[in-house]
Amino acid sequence: MADEFEPKILGILCNWCTYAGSDLAGTSRIQYPPNVRVIRVMCTGRIDPAFVMEAFSLGADAVLISGCHIGDCHYIAGNYKARRRIALTRKVIEQFGIDPRRLKMTFVSASEGALWAEVVKDMVNTIKKLGPTPVQKKVDLHAAGGHAAAGADEDLAEIAKASAGKKLEAAPVQKK
Amino acid sequence: MSEAKLKSSLFLGCIAPNRYPGIEVSTIKTAKNLGVELVDLKGAGCCPAPGAFGSMDLLTWEALAARNICLSEQMGLDCTVVCNGCYKSLYDVNEKLKANPVEMEKVNGILKLADMQYKGSIEVRHVAEQLYNDVGIKKIRDSVVQPLNGIKVGIHYGCHLLKPGRERHFTNAEAFGTEIPRFLDEMVEALGARSMDYKDKMMCCGAGGGVRGYKKDFALDMTNEKLKNMQAVGVDCIVDVCPFCHLQFDLGQMEIAEKFGDKYNIPVLHYGQLLGLAQGMSPDELGLEAHQIKVDSLLDKIV
Amino acid sequence: MANEKKPNRVGVFICHCGTNIAGVIPIDQLREYAMTLPNVVHADNYTYMCSTPGQEKIKTAIKEHNLDAVVVAACSPRLHEPTFRKASAAGGLNPFIFEMANIREQSSWIHMKEPERATEKAKDIVRMSVARASLLEPLDTKYIPVEKAIMVIGAGVAGIQAALEIADSGITTYLIEKDPSIGGNMSRLDKTFPTLDCSQCILTPKMVDVDRHPNIKTLTYTEVDKVDGYIGNFTVTVRRKARGVKEAECNGCGDCAAVCPVTKGNEFDLGLGPRKAIYVPFPQAVPLKYTIDFDSCIKCDLCVKKCGDKNAIDLNMKDELVEIKVGTIIVATGFDLYEIEKKEEWGYGRYDNVITGLQFERLINASGPTGGKLIRPSDGQKPHNVAFVLCAGSRDQDANPYCSRVCCMYSLKHAHQIMEKMPGTIPYLFYMDIRAFGKAYEEFYYRIQDEGAKFVRGRVSYIEEDPVTKNCIVHAEDTLLGTPVTLDADMVVLASAIVPKETTELLRNKLTISRSPDKFLLEAHPKLNPFSTSTDAIFLAGCCQGPKDIPDTVAQAAGAAAAAQVPINQGKVALEPIAAKVNDDLCSGCGVCGSLCPYKAITLSEIGEGHRRASVNDAMCKGCGTCGAACPAKAITMQHFKNEQIRAQIAALFTPVGGA
Repeated sequence: MADEFEPKILGILCNWCTYAGSDLAGTSRIQYPPNVRVIRVMCTGRIDPAFVMEAFSLGADAVLISGCHIGDCHYIAGNYKARRRIALTRKVIEQFGIDPRRLKMTFVSASEGALWAEVVKDMVNTIKKLGPTPVQKKVDLHAAGGHAAAGADEDLAEIAKASAGKKLEAAPVQKK
Repeated sequence: MSEAKLKSSLFLGCIAPNRYPGIEVSTIKTAKNLGVELVDLKGAGCCPAPGAFGSMDLLTWEALAARNICLSEQMGLDCTVVCNGCYKSLYDVNEKLKANPVEMEKVNGILKLADMQYKGSIEVRHVAEQLYNDVGIKKIRDSVVQPLNGIKVGIHYGCHLLKPGRERHFTNAEAFGTEIPRFLDEMVEALGARSMDYKDKMMCCGAGGGVRGYKKDFALDMTNEKLKNMQAVGVDCIVDVCPFCHLQFDLGQMEIAEKFGDKYNIPVLHYGQLLGLAQGMSPDELGLEAHQIKVDSLLDKIV
Repeated sequence: MANEKKPNRVGVFICHCGTNIAGVIPIDQLREYAMTLPNVVHADNYTYMCSTPGQEKIKTAIKEHNLDAVVVAACSPRLHEPTFRKASAAGGLNPFIFEMANIREQSSWIHMKEPERATEKAKDIVRMSVARASLLEPLDTKYIPVEKAIMVIGAGVAGIQAALEIADSGITTYLIEKDPSIGGNMSRLDKTFPTLDCSQCILTPKMVDVDRHPNIKTLTYTEVDKVDGYIGNFTVTVRRKARGVKEAECNGCGDCAAVCPVTKGNEFDLGLGPRKAIYVPFPQAVPLKYTIDFDSCIKCDLCVKKCGDKNAIDLNMKDELVEIKVGTIIVATGFDLYEIEKKEEWGYGRYDNVITGLQFERLINASGPTGGKLIRPSDGQKPHNVAFVLCAGSRDQDANPYCSRVCCMYSLKHAHQIMEKMPGTIPYLFYMDIRAFGKAYEEFYYRIQDEGAKFVRGRVSYIEEDPVTKNCIVHAEDTLLGTPVTLDADMVVLASAIVPKETTELLRNKLTISRSPDKFLLEAHPKLNPFSTSTDAIFLAGCCQGPKDIPDTVAQAAGAAAAAQVPINQGKVALEPIAAKVNDDLCSGCGVCGSLCPYKAITLSEIGEGHRRASVNDAMCKGCGTCGAACPAKAITMQHFKNEQIRAQIAALFTPVGGA
């Protein structure tokens, strides 16, 4: 490969802890890889898993969520909710064929600038090893001149071909 | 799994096989009596001596230690050592390489020359640790057929087993504390002997870190101080868990008599040998005749 | 939602920040790139956007170019968002249609060796910010009234100073102290460095002032139980622990203690002296009321009988919960000493004659358990020499990595006290460095050297105890001589590290304030704001924020007091308009939001026929967004952090339009 693969990582950081910690890394002039682009929210509890799915569908190689340490959330419990949501979202993206390691939640406090730099370095290394996202670029359906159903029809045709002649297993009888 | 902990390879090091074969036989036989199987580690070499090698070239030290660990990995068994110095070499290198993939790669680059590859798949334990944590004091006590009649024992813990405290992670950490350890005291008292408190109990014997090789008089001066302190509380014998400390106290007493004129005549036993006596084995079985300081005075007190 | 026109005339202002940004990122390139972005009609740059001329540029450009949104690409919004919001407002825009692109802390400062990649990143950041700015909506800052009262938690010298400052300016102050008396650690000290003032002599007048002050309500033997509410309107529930003694009736005569049959170690004397189960911790206690330690009291009733007609004792007293409304809170909970027995090599707790610095203070103090005589705990004899171990548990990777700041000075003071009170007794100080940083501190150090104290520069590796004499044999290294040394010491004083109190950890969770990695409470800014926290309306004073001496404690307490008074004096506080908002048409009343809200700011009300609808209390909502992320109908929007605004940032990142 001529150019080494440089992951494009979306970071969503909470204002009170990790964003402040990443600012501290900047003030301390700690140098780390430039692969992460940051969106600031007030609390990781704000993060709707749909944002994560959208990021992946638009071609993100990885998504890094980071907030306050467990027990230290500025809004008491937002990071607990985020942790659970991200854990579930990881399972979901796996179903889509995206390696769950591409979605990570970390906990970095406002005074941990050096730790944030390490978190980023570690994530960049991991994603470099995993390679670019398996997700194809979103097809501009309007440009393609069709509508969503057209794509769906093609998919169904493929499925029909692949399963032709295959016997389907009967659904198990539910016990009372 | 506790089953796996009761069978391991036995790494002997150098001093035990070359000078004090009693340490090897006593360790193996007493372990067997406690349900622990120690298997020969064929092809093992010098650990290598951590003070001498470690201070010359780190990579050489790591590679030679990793080679010994590989032999145990190939057998699929954890490795047991009988010597504090070997413990430092094998345990420290094992932990370091497991945590540091870059270093592991460097070492494996060298091991490739011997067609070996370090994987980091086994644990390294000291036999004293294995007896205390995996066998347990109760079983040790139960295996005693010849209680030791309250003989006064000066326990020498040595250095490399417990230090540096930051890099030691024993189960039952309190008994294995760096400043005030208790495990050997308990293991000796379980045999019916009495562990004596003496001045500067945690002091080094003087041998390790390359000191005996480099500045023998200095090393013997330290040993002399320890012997004086032990004699002051009237010990009947010295018990150690390291063949190098063992050598320093045993042969060392002869050298001290020659150099400084101080005579002590205190018998020196490796814990395995003391355990063997308590388990009813004969002095011959335990290789005690190979010692420089005769152990007769001690045996008289036990019977 | 309002059908407002979304901004489509965005102005982008790029800051050089001297060379902080311009030294890595070519500003012209960035400005030209900004002009290519959708909705951007104006792009400018300046060396220091936060300066007056910089802000003028924004104001002028808004008018000249009819801008309806502003993006400033510069430092962190945590630093200057308020500055530029004001500038936008001055130019006629709603201050919330402003977005900051952080290209300094998030790019130029962290990728200094990779300018091309830093520039690419800066372009991405600006593009994302412009996309968000194009969707921002005007918002109004709401103001709510402030409760005209301040609570100070902790009544050591920091709490006392803060309370006096606040009360003097006419504001009601609640001073909460968990011990039976106010005074804290400073009341334990004998003399204070470098002036050798008697500690109690300078503190007691302040304690009495607090007691007498009409604006201060002191609640001792009281702890914080719960904190509800929000900035300007806290409801703190405090637990007035059962004292067993009615404060109004007790006159401090002490008849009860004289007949009490139970003796325990006195916590104030750090276990070196006795107290009864009914006790005052020290003679100058404020308030001078007795307290019963119910854990040791055997309910023999002797004290009740002795108290007689005064009827001040109630053995059946129970804890009482009291709700107090305050506008701001100051935390001044102080310090404890590190558990130095963990450093086993020095034998604290095992050897009789090894004590800590605070215990030394109690022994040398004339009102202490030995009447001011320094004696060996093992045999009550006067020591012929005393060894001081400095940096005990401080500057130690295996204990506390930080310096505890005051130990060098108090050990010098202790050495002086020994030489003055017991001529012939020699103090030996085993030190690493002598840190004499304050006013007249270095001069004090010269004085102690001249008076004849012995200094050994080296660490104490271990101490052993002579089993007969109980002397401590100190093994150390003299690094200046380059040899190991041994000292046969009659007594050893460990200058143990200062750590925050364990109870502070429980308190800080109730207040939702953070702590630094060294476990002390985290200040808002280490240089510019060491007396505030990142939680509005909660301030810090004294050693709970970090080890410090008395002058620094008092100064910080006064600073915290001044800051805490600001919202009270203004009479109102601003609420950031980032609260959640319910769209009545979309809400189905499922209640998921209400169950998630940590502040119980969402209520579900019936709207007839079993239908419910959620509504948000603006003042209680802190804008965390947990509800907004969970609403299945997307009926809750988080103002200023709306779904479409965040999604626009994501989309802008991954689908570059315009420019390279």
